[in-house]
Amino acid sequence: MPAILEAKEMEKFYGSEKTERHQVLKNINLSVEKGEFVSVMGPSGSGKSTLLYNVSGMDAVSSGSVFFGGEQISSLPEKKLAQLRLTRMGFIFQHIHLLKNLNLLDNIVLSAYLAKSDSRDAVNRRAEALMKQTGIDTLASNDITQASGGQLQRVAICRALINRPDILFGDEPTGALNSKSTQEIMDILGEINENGTTILLVTHDVRVAARSERVLFMLDGALTAERNMGKYVKGEDDLKTRENELSGWLAEMGF
Amino acid sequence: MLWKMLKNDLLRKKGVTVTLFIFILLSAVLAVSGTKMVVELVRSVNHLFVQSETPHFVQMHAGTLDAAQVDAWAAADGRVEKHQIEAMLNLDGASVYMGGESEQSSVMDISFVEQNRDFDFLLDLSGNPVEVGAGEIGVPVYYMQQRGLKIGDAVTVDTGAFSREYKIAAFVRDSQMNPSIVHSKRFVVAGEDYEALKPYAAGTEYLIEFRLRDAGQIGQFASDYQGSDLPKTGPSVDYSLFKLLNALTDGIVAAVVILVSLVLNVIAILCIRFTMLATIEEDYREIGVMKAIGISHKDIKRLYLVKYVFLAASASLLGYAISFGVLRYFMSNIMLYIGNAPSSPVPSLLGLLGAALIFGMVVLFSNIVLRRFRGVSAVEALRSGSLGDAKPGKRRMSLNRAGWMRIPVLLGFQDVAQRFKLFRLLLFVFIVSSFIIIVPVNFLNTIQAPGFVSYMGIGRSDIRIDLQHSDNVEDRYKQLVEQVSADPDVSAFSPLVTSQFKVLNEEGSYDNLSVETGDFSVFPLDYVSGSAPANGDQIALSYVNSDEMGKKAGDTLTLFVDGENKKMTISGIYQDVTNGGRTAKALLPYNADAVLWYVVSLDVRDAGLIPAKIAKYEQDFQPAKVTDLQGYLDQTLGGTVNQLKMVTGLATGIAVFVAILITSLFLQMLISKDRNQIAILRSIGFGLDQIKVKYITMALILLVAGIVLGTVLSNTAGQWLVSAIMSFFGASRISFVINPIVSYLLCPLLLAVCVGVTALLSIKSVKEANISRMIAE
Repeated sequence: MPAILEAKEMEKFYGSEKTERHQVLKNINLSVEKGEFVSVMGPSGSGKSTLLYNVSGMDAVSSGSVFFGGEQISSLPEKKLAQLRLTRMGFIFQHIHLLKNLNLLDNIVLSAYLAKSDSRDAVNRRAEALMKQTGIDTLASNDITQASGGQLQRVAICRALINRPDILFGDEPTGALNSKSTQEIMDILGEINENGTTILLVTHDVRVAARSERVLFMLDGALTAERNMGKYVKGEDDLKTRENELSGWLAEMGF
Repeated sequence: MLWKMLKNDLLRKKGVTVTLFIFILLSAVLAVSGTKMVVELVRSVNHLFVQSETPHFVQMHAGTLDAAQVDAWAAADGRVEKHQIEAMLNLDGASVYMGGESEQSSVMDISFVEQNRDFDFLLDLSGNPVEVGAGEIGVPVYYMQQRGLKIGDAVTVDTGAFSREYKIAAFVRDSQMNPSIVHSKRFVVAGEDYEALKPYAAGTEYLIEFRLRDAGQIGQFASDYQGSDLPKTGPSVDYSLFKLLNALTDGIVAAVVILVSLVLNVIAILCIRFTMLATIEEDYREIGVMKAIGISHKDIKRLYLVKYVFLAASASLLGYAISFGVLRYFMSNIMLYIGNAPSSPVPSLLGLLGAALIFGMVVLFSNIVLRRFRGVSAVEALRSGSLGDAKPGKRRMSLNRAGWMRIPVLLGFQDVAQRFKLFRLLLFVFIVSSFIIIVPVNFLNTIQAPGFVSYMGIGRSDIRIDLQHSDNVEDRYKQLVEQVSADPDVSAFSPLVTSQFKVLNEEGSYDNLSVETGDFSVFPLDYVSGSAPANGDQIALSYVNSDEMGKKAGDTLTLFVDGENKKMTISGIYQDVTNGGRTAKALLPYNADAVLWYVVSLDVRDAGLIPAKIAKYEQDFQPAKVTDLQGYLDQTLGGTVNQLKMVTGLATGIAVFVAILITSLFLQMLISKDRNQIAILRSIGFGLDQIKVKYITMALILLVAGIVLGTVLSNTAGQWLVSAIMSFFGASRISFVINPIVSYLLCPLLLAVCVGVTALLSIKSVKEANISRMIAE
């Protein structure tokens, strides 16, 4: 399978020459294939989220290059990057970053209306289908204050998927949820991946990472190890076994 | 600790702090200056009146005078402390030259007098009675200011038969005729020069002046004088009117300065509210933490209040200090015309009170805003970290229903609708800015429009010929009417004679009333209420007269006509800013013994003939004042128009400056407040340009609403305000003549461009809001 996302010798520094330069990412080389489900794990402060924001073009790398769909995006102007985020990438965050003066449906359809790739009716139908798929179809006209954390995260997933992105980036998407909601969200992400959307997640949670095909381990800004878990098929594979296998490996890494 | 926090806070938000400081400072400077100005004005006028011993009652009289009769009456009246009769030699403007130019086109009536010996002294700029030698002259300060004259310059009188050059030895402060709105001016010459000029003067007018033992009796005294058979073919003026006239112009300026100060303070207070709310929003979590660890609501409040107390105190104190420098500029007119009262701590103390008021308002308001801390729950603050100023569900428009509207534009509309409370500051500033620009622009346009003559108590005609009182004026007037009626180029004309009648007042005695008589249907006038007199039993009153007499259309008054009382019905009220606004109109034969002036208004068949006709009548009836309508307006209002132009320019500059400053401050703080929401928009694919469009849309929505409301307010409250000010001068119902291109296109465009460019520059920081930085924070 061809790589949809690649990072070559990617480095990131914070601060300036004048103050103190602090290296957060060290010589990152990474490749994610189309349709793959990859998780990045590691201790707090190891640079996982920074890696995610730098490979997604949300933040600018200090050196090295990032390719998305074969195109180098680390040197693209902000306008083109915004267009990429709008049409080909989706994001889910740990905290609920929704617009507070829009209702749930409008939060979902906003970026599709902006992209104008389909008629508003077609967008609405797609949003309804996504909400049904994620089990929040009765909440369309609710405010963000009228939904639970789990429900809001589903809204965020629907929003991320509304423009049918090639890749979905998740920064601890279940970090603020209880275990039941976590299972439900991960089931939804699994389904999305089965339908062909590439997923790159950052997580602390072994139960989340256990569903991915490949797990990367990060320590002090560098990718130090990786483990190929094989595709997880719901109903066939035993999730508990995968979790134990992953936990054992992580223990070897000192995590 | 507090000091350290204060220092950090001030340094962290330099832009906001400086802007707030400037507003409080300006507000304090103006409040202190306005207060001091009012106090100094009252003190200076009182001092001038004491120094010059201003008469308590003055009766003007044109024509022959029996001085012995006046002396006998005064001697018999125990209320009179002293009295005098001053003879003023009237000169035609055409025969007086100052700075090489003739005063022909001046609206001022020029009189030459000797210095008074007993009271009503004409003072020099040091406050001493002017004494001039032969060949020297004392010139009213009005001319010093208007013509740029200096001591030693020449004033020439050339009547044809008499020619003489005088050297300016002093400038004169005249407690009666100082202000530019008084259209008579007294020049002081030496006794021998006065006598030499006497035979060649255009006429002699007398000021019969009285000082009373008790100033409280002026009203009754004036009434008794009017009821007597003493000479009184001319207006009478009393002490309180002299004071009012002297204080009016600068008093209005002081009132405007104080008003502007209050507007600036309201803007400063609204800015503080907005800044505080944004700061509380930013620090919400920290406030929660402070509450959680047991710091009391009062102590937290103090942490925030200290910054504003410091800001208000330093700005007010600096404003107070600066006012000492600025005051000289505000007081220059008072110092020139009225002079300085001996120094006293009172104005400075009251000025300090003005600064304290500004300080108090800012601190009080900050205290009120900070009451919000009480409502902050530690748990809620730590959990949500947000104040949540947008109450969801309010005024929401579904994106799907927005139809054609572009998404960033739509988001802008939605944001304004949902967070309207937050945007009140900007809306208020735009309304005020539009108001400050449009009201002077509209008033300037109104005062320059030909229709403004209707506020001067006269109808519109092509040419106006004024004959002032002189020895053979009656004959000249008759000749003039004959010549005009026989002139084939004249399409319509109306001779009007203003003479003095006696009118019965409420006390049963008689007052003088200047009544214009003639046919008012030829050049009709707009009436505030009622209409022109239609028969000999009707009379129309000017607004000021109707106001003073407490009469309205339909009421009656008793006029003394042909030796008997005649009941007249008031047919209408009209506006008149000329002659102190005290005139009347009736269809009566004029009172030949007490004619004040003659006017013939006429229209010519071909407008191209106007200049030639003016020249012809000027030549034939020298020294008549012959003017076309625009010329008459220019002469009468020229100075006012120039001043108003300056005020309009200044007001526009201030309004644009305030709009730019507040737009910039507001948007920068809004972007900082909204950075989370902006980061979310960026993460889902909104480009920087699209986010900028959203904020520009918000600014423009508020600007358009502000301009529309400001314009409506200008044309209603603004018109009312101008009318209220102008009612002092005789026009109570000013109706703006609006130039739509200037008022509805150029002024809004100027504001829109300035606000648009400022908004664009102020929202540059949207690029600093991104998700990774937000999470890092």
